[in-house]
Amino acid sequence: MSDMAVRDNNGLQAKAYGGRTVAPPVDVFENADDLLIIADVPGVRNESIELRVENGTLTLEAKHQTPKEELPALVREYERVDFVTTFRIPAGIDTGAISAETKNGTLVVRLPKAAAAKARKIAVQ
Amino acid sequence: MLTGWRDFDDAFRAIDLLQRRIDRAFDFWADPSPSDSAVMDPQRRGLLLGDRWRRRATTAWPATNVYEAKESFIVKAEVPGLAESDISVSVEDDVLVLRGERKSQAPEGYKVHLRERASVAFTRKLPLPARVDVEGVTATLTDGVLTIALPKAKDALPRQIAVQAA
Repeated sequence: MSDMAVRDNNGLQAKAYGGRTVAPPVDVFENADDLLIIADVPGVRNESIELRVENGTLTLEAKHQTPKEELPALVREYERVDFVTTFRIPAGIDTGAISAETKNGTLVVRLPKAAAAKARKIAVQ
Repeated sequence: MLTGWRDFDDAFRAIDLLQRRIDRAFDFWADPSPSDSAVMDPQRRGLLLGDRWRRRATTAWPATNVYEAKESFIVKAEVPGLAESDISVSVEDDVLVLRGERKSQAPEGYKVHLRERASVAFTRKLPLPARVDVEGVTATLTDGVLTIALPKAKDALPRQIAVQAA
């Protein structure tokens, strides 16, 4: 399992400047038991984050559901954006056991490997 | 194949777009410890606000917005992945200073497939546009966004002056 969780939308940040939706920066880690996806989704509330698993893809949507507050800005270095990205789920993931939590504006998704896909040591008799 | 001015326009647009993406990519991997960025410095403000993508390229981490309300300034910074204890906020000589560090190394025992979230140690010094009441400054961290409210000092508040009949 080396090419795990390849990001599907290889038009990375395709809409970053045009619209209000961008792909969040993500880290993908793996150990013997699971894959870990960490995405930066600052400013989006917990309940506004949606994860969907369908047809072997994992879709992450973090969309603001509250109106922008409109104070005059003296400096604007970032725009409030929605985050959407999609991953192909590699073979050997137990899709039913995928879990996620938010922490300080990041989303941490854990994709456990199915028992059959884990490396096993076989005792030689 | 270029067949007219329109095509030139499109070609330039494409180059511009490419430039933006490259800038953005470099921006992302840029020196993670810039101690600069006087975003509130009026002289730089014009520059910073002047051009959408240049502004992107010149900003430090964390990206910071500054809003002005009637009686206070509101500073918002996107700091995903930082806990309260990772950030320090102080006001020193009319300069708002944000310091902190985001460590986003792979968790123990994990190998890396993709790294887009840089580890960052930062110090940002934001000169304040007007005097503030240092005692009244508050900072809160919600969903990875740091919000700092800086009440304006009394003598910096707008004053109503009564017009009297002579």
